[in-house]
This record gives sequence, C-alpha cells and structure tokens, in this order.
Amino acid sequence: MERGDEDVGPPSALWSQETVGSPKLAGFHLYHKLPSIVPESCLLILVGLLLGGIIFGAEEKSPPVMNSDVFFLYLLPPIVLDAGYFMPTRLFFENFGTIFWYAVVGTLWNAIGIGISLYGICQISAFGLTDITLLQNLLFGSLISAVDPVAVLAVFENIHVNEQLYILVFGESLLNDAITVVLYNLFKSFCQMRTIKVIDIFAGIANFFIVGIGGVLIGILLGFVAAFTTRFTHKIRVIEPLFVFLYSYLSYITAEMFHLSGIMAITACAMTMNKYVEENVSQKSYTTIKYFMKMLSSVSETLIFIFMGVSTVGKNHEWNWAFVSFTLLFCLIWRALGVFVLTQIINVFRTIPLTFKDQFIIAYGGLRGAICFSLVFLLPPTVFPRKKLFITAVIVVIFFTVFIQGITIRPLVEFLDVKRSNKKQPAVSEEIYNRFFDHVKTGIEDVCGHWGHNFWRDKFKKFDNKYLRRLLIRENQPKSSIVSLYKKLEIKHAIEMAESGMISKVPSSVSLSEYHEGKIKPLSPTEMENMREILTKNLYQIRHRTMSYNRHSLAADANEKQAKEILIRRRHSLRESLRKTNSLSRERPAPANTKRFLSLPKNTKLPEKLRVRNKTSSRVGDSSDSEMDAATTVLNLRPRAGKILRDQRLRQQRPPPEFRMEWKNEVDGSQDGQGEQQEPSTLPQPSIGFRQPLLTRPRFGTLSREDLTADHGSARPVPPPRLVRQASQGERQRNKPENEPY
Amino acid sequence: MACGLCDKPWQFVTNLYRKSRCPMHQPARTLASVTSEQIEHLHRRFKQLSRDQLTIRKENFDSIPDLEFNPIRAKIVHAFFDKRNLRPESDGLADEINFEDFLTIMSYFRPIEMNMDEEQLDRFRKEKLKFLFHMYDSDHDGKITLQEYRNVVEELLSGNPHLEKESARSIADGAMMEAASICVGQMGPDQVYEGITFEDFLKMWQGIDIETHRNQDARSLPQHGDHRALLL
Repeated sequence: MERGDEDVGPPSALWSQETVGSPKLAGFHLYHKLPSIVPESCLLILVGLLLGGIIFGAEEKSPPVMNSDVFFLYLLPPIVLDAGYFMPTRLFFENFGTIFWYAVVGTLWNAIGIGISLYGICQISAFGLTDITLLQNLLFGSLISAVDPVAVLAVFENIHVNEQLYILVFGESLLNDAITVVLYNLFKSFCQMRTIKVIDIFAGIANFFIVGIGGVLIGILLGFVAAFTTRFTHKIRVIEPLFVFLYSYLSYITAEMFHLSGIMAITACAMTMNKYVEENVSQKSYTTIKYFMKMLSSVSETLIFIFMGVSTVGKNHEWNWAFVSFTLLFCLIWRALGVFVLTQIINVFRTIPLTFKDQFIIAYGGLRGAICFSLVFLLPPTVFPRKKLFITAVIVVIFFTVFIQGITIRPLVEFLDVKRSNKKQPAVSEEIYNRFFDHVKTGIEDVCGHWGHNFWRDKFKKFDNKYLRRLLIRENQPKSSIVSLYKKLEIKHAIEMAESGMISKVPSSVSLSEYHEGKIKPLSPTEMENMREILTKNLYQIRHRTMSYNRHSLAADANEKQAKEILIRRRHSLRESLRKTNSLSRERPAPANTKRFLSLPKNTKLPEKLRVRNKTSSRVGDSSDSEMDAATTVLNLRPRAGKILRDQRLRQQRPPPEFRMEWKNEVDGSQDGQGEQQEPSTLPQPSIGFRQPLLTRPRFGTLSREDLTADHGSARPVPPPRLVRQASQGERQRNKPENEPY
Repeated sequence: MACGLCDKPWQFVTNLYRKSRCPMHQPARTLASVTSEQIEHLHRRFKQLSRDQLTIRKENFDSIPDLEFNPIRAKIVHAFFDKRNLRPESDGLADEINFEDFLTIMSYFRPIEMNMDEEQLDRFRKEKLKFLFHMYDSDHDGKITLQEYRNVVEELLSGNPHLEKESARSIADGAMMEAASICVGQMGPDQVYEGITFEDFLKMWQGIDIETHRNQDARSLPQHGDHRALLL
C-alpha cells in the first residue's frame, strides 16, 4: 500500500480538528449567552461541517470518516467513565427499576416499533424502497432507537433539570447499550443467515442477559481489583490515578473482547471504584483523577461531534424523501408512545409517580448521537446494499435531535416549569436531616415489618462494612457521611477564605458557644474547656513534618501555605472581634488563659489528651489522616498528633513530649525522636520534627514581630509565634515568660 | 368514641384521621385512603408486637431485632409514645398505646396518593415535619436547643465507635449556626439564638423534598463539562 494522503489524512484531520475545536470551545464559553441558547454539541457539529466542507472542497473527495474502531475504542470510553464515576449512585439505585425498565423494554419497544413501521412504509412501492427486507428494517430500527449518553450529557448539562429526571434519562442511555449491542448483533447475524429458527430467537434473548450481566460483572470485578490495588499504594501516591484509568479501560476492553456490553462494564467499574478508591487515594490523587477525567471526556466529546460534522460532508449519501422523513417521524412517535405507556405501568410500582411533565422531558430528551452514527457505518455493505440510505437517515435524525431538540429543550423546560436543579452548597444540617430521616424511615419499616427499599440498602451497608470495606480500604474507619461532609466543607471554606480574603457567612463555632444557653454569663472552666476544644477543631494546622524533596512525592505548594496562613490570621481576627464584644474579654484571668490555649491549641491539648485518651484520639487522627496526603497540610479536624501518638506507642517511647519546650526553644532538638521525618529539610531550618512550621521566616518575620508586640496588651490570641521558626534570642526570651504560667 | 365537639358517638371506620372528632367536625383534611389490606397487615403486626394484648408498651419494641442496629432507636420508640404525635394539642408521654394510636403514627408515613392536591400535599408534608420536629425536641418546649441538637448528632454518630464526642459536638454546632444564619440572618455578637422553633425548622426544610428527601431544587451535580467548582 503506498503512502498516500490517506495515511496522513486521519492524523492531520484529527490535529486540525482539535486545534480548531478547542479554541472555539474556549471562545464559546467566553460569550456567555451562547451556551444558554445553543448546546456545545451543536456548535461543534457546525465546526465539523465547516471543516468537512473545506477538506471536501480542497481535496475533491470525501474527508476521513470517523473510524468506528476509533470511536468505540478511544473516544467513547472516557465519556462513559466520566459519567459513571460522577453518577449519584444513591439516586441511581433508588430509581434503578425505572431506569432498567425504560432502558430494556423501552428500547425494545422503540426498535421493533420503528422497524416494523418502516417496513410497512417500504412496502409501498411508490417510494422505491421495496428491496429493504424486514430484517434490515429491524436492524435499522435497533440501531436508531438507542438513546445516546454523549448527546444527553451534552444537552442536559446546560439546562439543569432536577437530579431525578437527569438520572432517569441518563441512566437509560447508559443501560440501553446492552440491549443495543444484543439487538444489533442479533439482527445482523440474522440478516446473514439463511433460515431463522425459533431457537435462535431464544438464544438472542439469553444473549441479552449474558451480555448485560456479564458486562456488569466484569466491571464490578475489575473495580474491586482496582480498589484492592490502591489499598497498597500509599508509598507511591503519584501513580494512583493511573490505576483508576487503567482498570476502567481494561474493563471496557475486556468486555468488548468477549462481545459483552463494554459501556455497562465501564460504568459498573467506575461506580465501584468511586466508592472505595476515593478513600484510599490521597487528596491530590483524587483531584488529579477528577480533573484528568473531565479533561479526557471533554476532548473526546469535542472530537466526536466534530467528526460527525466532518463525516456528514461527502459522497456517502443517498437521499430518499420518504425513508428519511418517515424515519424521523417514527422515531419521535414511538419514543413518545413508548415513554407514555411504560410510565403508566411503572408508576404503579413507584412511590413517587412520574408526572406528565416528567414524561414529556424524558421523551423529548431521548437524543440520538454518535453511537448510532458509528453503528450505521459498521454495517457490512454487502448485506446492506442500501447502506447509504441508512447513513443519510441516521444523520438526519441525529441532526434533528441534537439541533432542534437540543436548542428547544431549554425553553420548553422553562415553559413547563420543570423542577430545576439549584447550585446550592450542601449543608451539614441537610446531611444530618437526611441521615436522620433515613434512619426514621428504616425504623418505621422495621416496626411495621415491611421490607422496603431502606431495608435492602441497610443490609447492603452492613455487608459492605463487614467484608468489603475491610478488604478494600486501607485504614478502615467506619466513616459517617456527616463527618466526611463536614470535613469537606471545612476544607472548602478554608480554601475559599484564603482565596477571596473574605470571611464567609459560615460561622466559626466560637461564635456559637457564645449563644450557648442563650445567656451571657461568666464562663466556667468547663465551658472554657469546651470552647478550647471546639476551637482546636477549627484551627488550621499549618505544621507538618518537613519532607525532603523526592521525585515520588509532591511538596506542598508554597502558595497554599501562604493562603492557609492568611486564613488563620483572618479567623483569629474574626474571633477577636467577636470576643471583644462579650463578657469573655471582661475577665482578665480568662483571656490570659485562653490566649494560652488558643495560641497553643495543639500543644496544650496534647499532654492532657495523651494521658487521658491515647487510643481513641489516635484512631480518630487516623481517620482524618487517611484522606490526606502526607505532604500537604490540609485542615485537620484532629491534630496530627494522633500519628505521633501512635508511633509513640508503637515504639514504646518515653513520656509525652514537652511541646512547651519546643515552643520556647525552636532549635531544641528534643523533638527529633518524634514524628517521621528524618532527613534534613530542604528548607533552611533545622528540622524540628513534626511541629516544624513551614513558612520561611523572612516572609512573615516582620509580621510576627509586630503581632507579638501588639498582642501583649490585648486579648488577641497569638498566632505568630507558630510562624517563627528560628526564634531570635529576643523573641525567645519574650516567649519564655509568656509560656511560664502555662 | 365520641366526637370531641358535638359528643356524637361514631364508629372507628377504616380511615386514619378520626382524631376524636366525628366526620362532620373533622378538620378538612384527607381521610387517608389507606387500603384495608394495609390496615390488616398493620393490625397483625400490632398483635404480634403486643403479644395479643390491646396495648403496646415501650418494652414491646425490644422484640424487633433489626431495630437494635438503628442508632436513633430510642428516639423512634419514644416518638410512638409522644402524645404530641398522637393527638394534636396534647403533650407528655403515654405509657402505652393502642392500635389506633399505632395507626396514627404509621399514617405519617403512608405513601402519597395521586389524587392529592397541592394543599393536601402541603399539609401532609407539614405533619411529617412536625413529627420529625418532635423527635428532635426531646424536652417538649417547642424549641430545638443546641444541647438537643448535639444529642441528636451524637446519637446519629453513635454507631461509629471511633468518633469522638467532640467531633459530633462540633458538627452539631456548625449545623446549628447554619440554622441560625438561615433563620435570623447575620447575628451581632450580642444576639442570642435560643433554639430552632418549628417555623425555623420549616424554613430549613423548605428546599428539600421530604419524599425523596432530596433537594427539590436538587443539589448541583458535578455536571459533565462543568470545568469549575470541583472542590468537593
């Protein structure tokens, strides 16, 4: 085969499409109004059309058509992976019956309906279509009835319908892949067979179950393997994201290899991984996975739509008014009928029936896209002499759904006043209420002896906690969703505050304790203790052990540290302003005390905690640590002392460290035995172990001095000493007397 | 039974809202059309729990094995005997409940019928929320104070042995402050927030659809192609 244009064609086309497509996308979003009117996919197709036209005009032959292999092997998996990974699993499983019903029965209904009615049309000799057999029509029906996840995602992302609707349409588009694969292969092989026996039909039905369930099993299996692998990756954090992508792609390829449903495999794998891997990987790996996944799926989507546009232009077409228009008509009619009839049946079984509005959106949201496009290109032309006709019809349907339905769905949603989604921040209290209500419902179900949905979910959770989590998660602490949400929110607020420099509306618990009991009264020592403990939770830990630079680990970003410092200061000033106006400041001895406590939160707490609650605190320390990278300093709800404590106990060490000493005398090497770090740090300070503050002195040196002098008279807590790593003589002297009462 | 208002005796029919009033003086709410099968099933269950007695006591609930694992078991059982749930204006704790009371409590959780209109749905929802409110407000003073809230959170997290009490407390505090900020807005440092009243409670649940107990205006999904806000 000579090296002609064909060889260079696809890569260059690819490259040119990407370079054109991505800036277009960026520009697209800059002009704000456009995405609200026109979904991205439309624009991308237009760009593709343009490109195709250019190539066609320049080279006088058809531009490179989207290779079905490329599509199915490279372009589709990232999108499905992204969607499966971020799918709200709880909602998905609550609606699983409905989704399954729509996907399987709905697609069957559509496929057979469209096939048979088209066959009826073909029988009319006036249209010149009589040579298309019933089987061919059925095959065509099966490939065009598949709702496409890519298109659904592309369109629904802009209109923000409520989660339930979204999950119904999207879940259906994912699950119907199994049916599509089966039907497509079934009819294709039927077309090529001489005779069809009844047994073949049953084989087909059995095949469906094998394809669907087999795909899911492969996905789940590989998901477990991935989770298990990540359990042991805490030494080599950097390659953790690789496992996620590797295993999910592996599941897809494996399933496709066995002619099972690859989409269902990768979806099941993603959902399984999401649950367990998230807890094993570090925070940074998690972020990497998220962003990389989004990036890949964005790129794939862009390419797919552009390719579709390009492939449209060319000589692949045969136009037949009757066939094309009736195809379109039947697609719409059968979809609407199907949704309507099926909903009537499924509503009997649902606790929350689907309203007419919901049904309309579901029917209208059944968009066709790249999957049927690729499938039609895969048809063997020998068996299908009218292949070009099919291609034309498919393209018309896709364009119609993507353009017309895609553009009009937004105004329709607004017109029908469908419940929209709202970008509201999840609140801790909401999570608490939800949990509470869940338990109430389960309890009531138990009382009335009814095995409802909650019962099964509870059972699964117990099984999960007992076996799966122990196996798959590294440091398995039974996690409460409330606590993890709370932690997440704290982190988020910290970062927000650092970035925006504003004090957000979310309160610190300090102010709360002043509202405690509704009265302003002198606070007893126990209450002080309370407040101190509360504050400890909310103060941001900036100390961490120094890490030497290592290619396999990532050092914390300098800006991050600075941001956290700013954050701490602002919180202190917030606290300060609050404290100034209440009774706390009126009592002289109290501030002296609190100042001590507040400024040395971890230090003060530690000795007591060590004596009193060694075990439990260390465990909790683990749970908060487990999701944090060793190298980064993120908000800790518990001091990292937990780790130290554990190490201490392990090594049967001497009595608890004198953290006070470290405070006074930064260069004291007494802490060297503590913590994990050993190597000399790259920062120009002698490593003092666990407690090493990480900001360089020059940056904050002046500040700390100012603060120190300023703080003497007021009740302001003293953050700066923490920053001072190499305390100067003078400062050290000053620190000493301050610390003595403590 | 006699109607509280007009003293007319009337039968307990197969509807759940008879609230000691005859149908004429019934507050205009749906007579819940619980099917007779459901009533029968519940009756059987009642007989099983009460060991063929006419009333149930708190101890009878111990015979439900699955309830043991429920972290808020105590509150749920308590709710059955809470007089505020049984009759609209009463208060206090009942020692034992009969089948009608049992059904009353169960009726809070009956499935919604298709033919309910907006007003009925709203009322139904409010009743459910009131039920929940009573579960939170253990001292019957009409307010959820910080201590009570902390109690709730501690109980919720009690299934988790490794979690410190202080974590639970700080979570409760954070949630309480959220409530304060929703109900009262920005508070000055001298202001005092007594506790969550039922109106405040309603406000907090405003956006949440209690049936799916999810946001009606649903939480934002990390949308495909949403290239920002991936912090969570």
